[in-house]
Amino acid sequence: MRSTRAILIAAFALLSWTAARANERGVVIRAGDLFAEPFIDSAKLGPLTSNQPVTIIERRGGWLAVEVGGRRGWVRMLNVRLEVAARPGANTAAMRTNSTGRTVATGVKGLDEVDIRNASIDREQLGKLGELSVSAADARQQALQDNLKESKVDYLKPGKVK
Amino acid sequence: MRAPRPLWSLILIAALSSTAASAQFGSIGSIVNKARSAQKIGEGLRNINEQEEIKIGGDLAGMLLGAAPLLGDPAKQRYLNSLGSWLAQHSERPGLPWKFGIVDSNDFNAFSTPGGYVLITRGLFDRMRNESELAGVLAHEIAHVVRKHHLQALQKRLREQSLSEMRSYFSVSTGNGLADRFAGALLSAGKDLYIRGLDREDEYEADRMGVVIAARSGFSPYGLVGVLQTLTATTDQEGYGLHNRTHPLPLDRLMRLDAAMGTRFDSTVGLADDAASFVALRKPPSPTATPAKSVKPKRPKSK
Repeated sequence: MRSTRAILIAAFALLSWTAARANERGVVIRAGDLFAEPFIDSAKLGPLTSNQPVTIIERRGGWLAVEVGGRRGWVRMLNVRLEVAARPGANTAAMRTNSTGRTVATGVKGLDEVDIRNASIDREQLGKLGELSVSAADARQQALQDNLKESKVDYLKPGKVK
Repeated sequence: MRAPRPLWSLILIAALSSTAASAQFGSIGSIVNKARSAQKIGEGLRNINEQEEIKIGGDLAGMLLGAAPLLGDPAKQRYLNSLGSWLAQHSERPGLPWKFGIVDSNDFNAFSTPGGYVLITRGLFDRMRNESELAGVLAHEIAHVVRKHHLQALQKRLREQSLSEMRSYFSVSTGNGLADRFAGALLSAGKDLYIRGLDREDEYEADRMGVVIAARSGFSPYGLVGVLQTLTATTDQEGYGLHNRTHPLPLDRLMRLDAAMGTRFDSTVGLADDAASFVALRKPPSPTATPAKSVKPKRPKSK
């Protein structure tokens, strides 16, 4: 049990590292500070100006670890816009599509307006979907195993968009 | 036998009293049937019971599955249902028979239908950076179900339909002309809805609720923010077409979510970005990697 857990943690760490290496690029959209840590009261490493390009190294909660002009630090996720060229994941080749947006590589069809317009109800698939459901108790057991911690949070009111 | 619905009778009376409208089915059926057909659904869809909502949702989920079948990957499907069920327990409708599925399409999209059906595409699953992003997407869809957004949108499209046809649809299983007519109208309205999308305000609300449902479940609420960021950097040519045409601009959604979240979650600690059970499933194992069996999430039945 203990060794399985160690393997899991090792695999997790390795995969996180691999994922982090698929660097995305972004642009600072709001002037602000570069932080030493992903916390609002952390030490500040200096100012960031609008339109500064950044390379995203890591994501943690609402924060991005970035490289910007030779410096490395943390910036709030919402202060950065991703560049259009940036695509998450390393498996972009498998997602290449032709001009209609349909997949070429695997031959699996897409899911667009025409597919929906022409669809009829598939009762067999619906039955299969029903068999997939997981009970609340089993879901809770998995969540505890994954160390997820519940908390009470109230819904948000709409904010004032600037 | 169904439980009596006091609201129903009120609506019926309202619908009857306003029925100066002419019967639409002149060529079909007896005079009695004509008169019954003249009673319209009006606001009736708002007040259906849970079983009826699930029946509608099942038909619409079946339609979406008719457009793209389930992915044949039991480990991923089970994982998705475990995560989805956990998230749904932190919504206001934990008791619905929630069902989650990955459909085999490279496109990026997620759907929900009334009564607790949530479908995401394989393309979406594969493009999630971490588990909190997937949790954010599922929680957004769960919010649509909780707030009955699709039901309300269908209500607008089906209000002129015959009330007796709808009641036949709910009460008989198959082979009834009245029921079939409602089923046909529902399917057509449902297709129109999933092609055009919900109202913008419904999407903004589902975003605001989604981040909270994710946070209640122990995930970083910024997962959904990350997905919206991904969407700001995409074009319709990459399999995002239908999604982008049926949702408000992601930048608009981001700005609104930013305004609603503010600094609310800044001091919250202990929220997860990822978990080993997701990481293990996210990417296809490389040929040299440890066999998938040993990294699959385990569910011991006993200690």
